[in-house]
Amino acid sequence: MRAEYVNPFLKASINLFKEYLGLQAVAGKPHLLGDPQDLDAVSAIIGLAGDTRGAVVLSFSRETAMRIVSKMAGQEYKMLSNEVLDGVGELINIIAGNAKQGLLDFRIEISLPGVVTGNSYKIRWPEGIPVVSIPFTTELGPFTVNVSLKDIA
Amino acid sequence: MNILIIDDSGVMRRIHKGILMEHGVPESDIIEAEDGRVALELSATKHIDLFLVDWNMPKLNGLEFVRAVRAVASYKDTPIIMITSEAARYMVVEAVQAGVTNYVVKPVKGNALFEKIEKYLQA
Repeated sequence: MRAEYVNPFLKASINLFKEYLGLQAVAGKPHLLGDPQDLDAVSAIIGLAGDTRGAVVLSFSRETAMRIVSKMAGQEYKMLSNEVLDGVGELINIIAGNAKQGLLDFRIEISLPGVVTGNSYKIRWPEGIPVVSIPFTTELGPFTVNVSLKDIA
Repeated sequence: MNILIIDDSGVMRRIHKGILMEHGVPESDIIEAEDGRVALELSATKHIDLFLVDWNMPKLNGLEFVRAVRAVASYKDTPIIMITSEAARYMVVEAVQAGVTNYVVKPVKGNALFEKIEKYLQA
């Protein structure tokens, strides 16, 4: 997977936190995810199809998910309610939609987001394509944005 | 005035409704729909003066909704603001060609969003 595919997702994540939440998200070094299932307890997934194909997963702990959606909605959530999961899905939707702006060479459709929780779920990543994980830290807690996109010849 | 917020995300509907109410729009003027199909049904029973529509939704997405509602004579000129995460330029063009009046890319701050909406409230 080409490195330039990752940057639009990195920028979109930083922009989302800055514009929506008024927070600084500091990106760590992107790295290949050795175990593509090594994700946190709450993950939002969105599929990409069209000129390229792949998936993007936003992953964080239950507590971080609740804190971030509380900040976004202006209302405090103390449990992982459907509304929190809905908010988490919206976050990945914004990241993926915004990232398309940086992937101008491609015409890409994004799927509706899905959100999974727990300790034993498995993400169906596109087969044979590595997953690049971008770690972020924020004052509301850490999260990762994980990207797997097929190279176009 | 009837404003219809169309978004499959309940959190986003709550945020957009909150922005309108913070700027003095009465709650009774705001109607919500969770997808384009529900929005079409609602707009057939009640006249809508302003649509705020998301793009990516199940059943009938925002673009399909805009095409469908623009085919209704009474909604030929009604303002439709698309509020979406879809930032690619070709998608903005597609939306405008379908009949969208204004296009706002999420994330957008409350005041910036209201500035886009305000002129249609005064119309």
